[in-house]
Amino acid sequence: MAKEAANNLVETSDYIGHHLVNLTFGWCEKTSSWGFAHHQQDLSKSLDSACDVSEMGFWAFHMDTIFMSVFLGVLVFGFFGLINRSAKKGTPGKLQNFVEFVHEFIGSAVSSGYHGTSKIVAPLAFASCLWILSWNLMDLLPVEMANFFGQAGSGINYFKILPTADLNAPLALAAVVMVLVTYFSINTHGLGGFLKELFIVPLGPLEFISFVSKHVALALRLYGNLFAGEMIFILIAIMFGQFFMSFSQTLWFLPGLIMNLAWALFHILIVALQAYIFMMLTIAYLNLASTKH
Amino acid sequence: MNINATFFAELIAFCIFVFITYRYIWPSMASVLEERRKEIDEGLQAASESKRQLEEAKEESSRVIDVAKSEASTLINQAGSRADQLIDEAKEQATEEAKKIKETAESDIAQSTNKAKETLKEELSVLVVAGASKILNKEIDESANKEIVDQLIKEL
Repeated sequence: MAKEAANNLVETSDYIGHHLVNLTFGWCEKTSSWGFAHHQQDLSKSLDSACDVSEMGFWAFHMDTIFMSVFLGVLVFGFFGLINRSAKKGTPGKLQNFVEFVHEFIGSAVSSGYHGTSKIVAPLAFASCLWILSWNLMDLLPVEMANFFGQAGSGINYFKILPTADLNAPLALAAVVMVLVTYFSINTHGLGGFLKELFIVPLGPLEFISFVSKHVALALRLYGNLFAGEMIFILIAIMFGQFFMSFSQTLWFLPGLIMNLAWALFHILIVALQAYIFMMLTIAYLNLASTKH
Repeated sequence: MNINATFFAELIAFCIFVFITYRYIWPSMASVLEERRKEIDEGLQAASESKRQLEEAKEESSRVIDVAKSEASTLINQAGSRADQLIDEAKEQATEEAKKIKETAESDIAQSTNKAKETLKEELSVLVVAGASKILNKEIDESANKEIVDQLIKEL
């Protein structure tokens, strides 16, 4: 009994660990070659590197994050581009109606939050909101879904479909926002004024820390919410998965089902809200950067 | 929390998507919406304009109808009074005509009565002479008595 429990515990921590590892392709110092992390895929020996994910340095790519984000981006922006291409000013169809609704929604958020003249803010808000939303929606797909499609060893069972749960993605978005905020600030106050504001007035270097941290927080807020949500899905899946591990634990099936449903329903709110918050904060930061004070 | 080169890939991807939105998606949709907004605005203005025109036309038509009504009533009144007048005139004429006819008839009657009277007088004088001569049984010199008879006739 104790042994079984210990076994379960190992399996559980393995399961969680497995779900926190991205499909990584990177530079392995040991063999001085590029390749997938050790044991992540067994299809091609030449693509397998001797390094674990943790042994790879900075030069590694999370293939799942990149693939999913680009794939979703192409899907979303392709959809909007296509509908726009056939958009007509007469009575709109259903799809065009939807696209226009999204456009108006984001447009009104931008026009109420940003009072400058830059033409980049609205597209930036649009792109960030919809891209993040499409990422976050992946959180509602079952955590084990990828495993159903691929064989073990093809690399697909390390495939994480939620780009938001990989800090790199939100951080990249926040970095773009930070660059733009810097650019806007320099435009408004001049380089000297901006540096003065960062390091001297009114609280000295603290302002610089707050400047950096608010953008890091922008990324971490998004990442943290979705990562935590994903983690809870994983924990529920473990509970749920007891059903498949041993029939003595079938008791867990129903609670697992109910909790999964409940959390998914609640998570819909977070999914949309975090995308919205990111967009609104982006607009607010850019507005702050482009107003004289 | 392992930050690696994925960051750059995401950075580039995001920049590309923002550029695509900036270049192709946002402005085209904005222009479509702007055009529609303009069209709707124009439509609404045209609607209110035509509403105003309709109101005006209604007022105009009711004014015209009022004028026509009053004109019609004056016409009717005029026609009525004219008819009365005509009837009166006709009556007058008729009475006058009747009077005239009556007068002629009366004068005719008087004339023929006089004529008859004259004739009767003459006849009577002849009859009186004849009667008197018969009564007297003798020939009366007609020329001698003619004066007396004529006197008699005159006195009749």
